Amino acid sequence: MSPSSRGAHEDVTAYALGVLDEEDHQAFESHLMSCEECQAELRELSEVPGLLDAVRRDRSTSLTGPLDDDRTPL
Amino acid sequence: MLPVPRHLDSRFESAETDDDVLVEVLYQEFGPSLLRHVRKATGNDLQWAEDVVQETILRAWRNAGRLHREPGLLWAWLLTVARRIVIDGRRKRGARPQEVEPADADAVSVPDASEQALETMIVTDALRDLSEEHREVIEHTYLRDRTISEAAEILGIPPGTVKSRLYYGIRALRRILKERGVAS
Repeated sequence: MSPSSRGAHEDVTAYALGVLDEEDHQAFESHLMSCEECQAELRELSEVPGLLDAVRRDRSTSLTGPLDDDRTPL
Repeated sequence: MLPVPRHLDSRFESAETDDDVLVEVLYQEFGPSLLRHVRKATGNDLQWAEDVVQETILRAWRNAGRLHREPGLLWAWLLTVARRIVIDGRRKRGARPQEVEPADADAVSVPDASEQALETMIVTDALRDLSEEHREVIEHTYLRDRTISEAAEILGIPPGTVKSRLYYGIRALRRILKERGVAS
């Protein structure tokens, strides 16, 4: 596996979370069309962000303060 | 993963499916599930969530030519797009806070509140069990609505390192969540 393709594969996680910068987001989508390995990984990862939202929801209503506090303990 | 009815495969994969039909099928088959997912991300703000779902389907229509017609991937694509729209929206709201408050979060019934509370507790614990490096990148990207490059700048590490840590961190998190029965 070449370094560049490894980079593209690693982007699958950030893509699934929706946090890639626009240019990388577009590039990864193109890569995804032809990479079955990434397609399989993306399917596997698709429930993770929803689970993380459970933590976000909890914090937005908790007494530990808003997300913007720099050191909100996890 | 969304259980996808088998009959959909042929409808999505057919080259003859025209774009308007695609949108209709997307709404019918994915709309309710998408709305449920998006509501979790919008803090149960139904109006906002409905707008996000609408915008997501619109983008699917615009990108119809290059969409994956395999339902599992299509679902993953829709989730990612919806997530980016929510993140953008939250940033804008953050920039001008209090402008639009959810009508009344309590007015919208939350199904299975105790189940959600349990899920929150398990995910919080799982995050605590990650290494500091892994927890940090998850925190500074997804949980704070930041892109890779923004998180890299704040953490003072290269974007490639953020991606790499995120890749392994999310895998570790998923493994823990699987062990604890909340991820499949």
